Amino acid sequence: MFSLIENEVIKMISKKRLLFVIAILVALISVFAYGQHHSSERIKTQLSQRMGISATTDWHKLADQQLIELKNRLDSPYRDEKDKSALRVRIEQLQYNLDNDINPLEQSAAKFTTKFMEQSIFLFLPLLIIMLASDMVSGESSSGTIKLLLVRNVPRWKVLLSKFLTLIMLEIIVLFFAFVLSEIISGLFFGFGGWNAPVATGFKLVAGKLDTSSVLNVPQWRYTLMVYSLAFFVSFVVGSISFMISVLVRSTAASIGIIMSTLVAGNFISYFLSDWKITRYMFMVNLRLTDYLSGSFQPIEGMTLLFSILVLLGWASASIIISFVYFTKKDILV
Amino acid sequence: MFKKSMWYSILVIAFVGFVILANGFYQAILVTTQANPQPTSESAPLESAADLTPSSKNPNTIQMLILGDSVAKGTGDEKSKGFSGYLSEYLKNNTSKEIIADNAGIDGLESTGLLEQLQSHRLEEQLTHTDIILVSIGGNDIRSILTLNSFDKENEFKVRLDRYLSNLKLTFKELRRTNPNSIIIFLGLYNPYEKATNLVDSQLLNSWNFNTQQLVETDGKAIFIPTYDLFKYNTERFVAQDGLHPNSAGYQAISNRISRSLEMIIAGL
Repeated sequence: MFSLIENEVIKMISKKRLLFVIAILVALISVFAYGQHHSSERIKTQLSQRMGISATTDWHKLADQQLIELKNRLDSPYRDEKDKSALRVRIEQLQYNLDNDINPLEQSAAKFTTKFMEQSIFLFLPLLIIMLASDMVSGESSSGTIKLLLVRNVPRWKVLLSKFLTLIMLEIIVLFFAFVLSEIISGLFFGFGGWNAPVATGFKLVAGKLDTSSVLNVPQWRYTLMVYSLAFFVSFVVGSISFMISVLVRSTAASIGIIMSTLVAGNFISYFLSDWKITRYMFMVNLRLTDYLSGSFQPIEGMTLLFSILVLLGWASASIIISFVYFTKKDILV
Repeated sequence: MFKKSMWYSILVIAFVGFVILANGFYQAILVTTQANPQPTSESAPLESAADLTPSSKNPNTIQMLILGDSVAKGTGDEKSKGFSGYLSEYLKNNTSKEIIADNAGIDGLESTGLLEQLQSHRLEEQLTHTDIILVSIGGNDIRSILTLNSFDKENEFKVRLDRYLSNLKLTFKELRRTNPNSIIIFLGLYNPYEKATNLVDSQLLNSWNFNTQQLVETDGKAIFIPTYDLFKYNTERFVAQDGLHPNSAGYQAISNRISRSLEMIIAGL
């Protein structure tokens, strides 16, 4: 088993596909980091135009004032208890910025690394995974090498399992590179700090409304870890589904085409069919898991992180079962 | 050899990565499902603050209630006084009576929120005994349309204005139901972004103020205090560091204006 996986991994390395994925990552991250750098500079000039130079350089004063305001607000007897934890979180963040001399307008590598994954979790990351996953089996079918694999004295399910485990390992490698590369590249632009800054999370959905009563601050590194973990889960699900398609379909091109069009369609299906309840059971609309952490999701009754995870898990396990059943039963004629 | 070492490093990264990511995944689920982890300890002092409000009408006091958004609350004043500070100072100097000012302003409040606040009867107690009600509302209703493009802006403006006016009508009704005799001072909107505003925006703001004033006039004992003219060439002087709220000087200027307009009425209180 172990040597089977080793064999698969070495095959993937020599196919240069992983290298290609990393190259795409480097190119895109560089462009994004530059763009972020550029736009944050622009925002700063706009701000200083509107509010005078002092607003951007002398942000301490502004933050101090905001802090006093927030504290006053917290003490106001006319305020709902529910709003208060959001205020407390905001106060903690401001206090941290003041204590550690961090201009809230400045970007940091930690922020960028997280943001990059939050933005790519629903489309870009799945596409990278598809590039790796969709030819794992169909590639062997179309080139005929699958025969060589199956004539060995190894049960078929073991062959498929080794391929599947290889896929999971590669998903982790892709995430690892996405993390390391965006940290390094954005670090060159924004500096390498910011891992202890507090980030607000813990938003909930109560009766169809965003509930901020349980919001709390977690350090940036923990938040980033959660984001990347959810990203790993998403790539596991997307990987499993495209793995299934690659088992079912013989040509790699068709298999990439099918899963990619489904994925892209899913991104606008939620706009057009938002009031159609069945869409929430599609895997494509559930990919934005990190939105639940950041509280930036559209509140839809019944959609929570746990719900999305369960839906995705259902899709993944169905695809895995189908792939194994089909692969062990089918006749291979090459 | 190279492939072999590559394979081992991939194996190690994948294994360690898996353990870390699984842990993070567990944390992510925990953080979005777990109950409120923050201590809620500050309910005790709030009670006592509410108790301070006097419950019966005293002939030797003038009571003032300030309602509305951040401007009502005094946000931006570096001396943290706001209207409850400056206006009561003035009243104190010009009457022999004691001044009690209650400030119920909430940052970011929109007209809908003010109406809800009044309909919830949380302020009933203060409202019944108050002599002067100062209202500042509407700035947050109109502010967010600034970022829209010019076509959407005019449409959205109409929608917001209609909603705002109907809220305001109900607000007045609610105020008069609990307190038919007090004088209501209504603050107009100023433009904090004077330097970055085009003609259309100014005109929209003026038409907002005009419509508000017309509505305020329908109430017999209410006065509309414009602030637009006061701030137009004075944004440098009167707008606080945050670029939106009045600063100490700004609040003082508005308070002066209010007290001038009410001199006779205050003398009679």
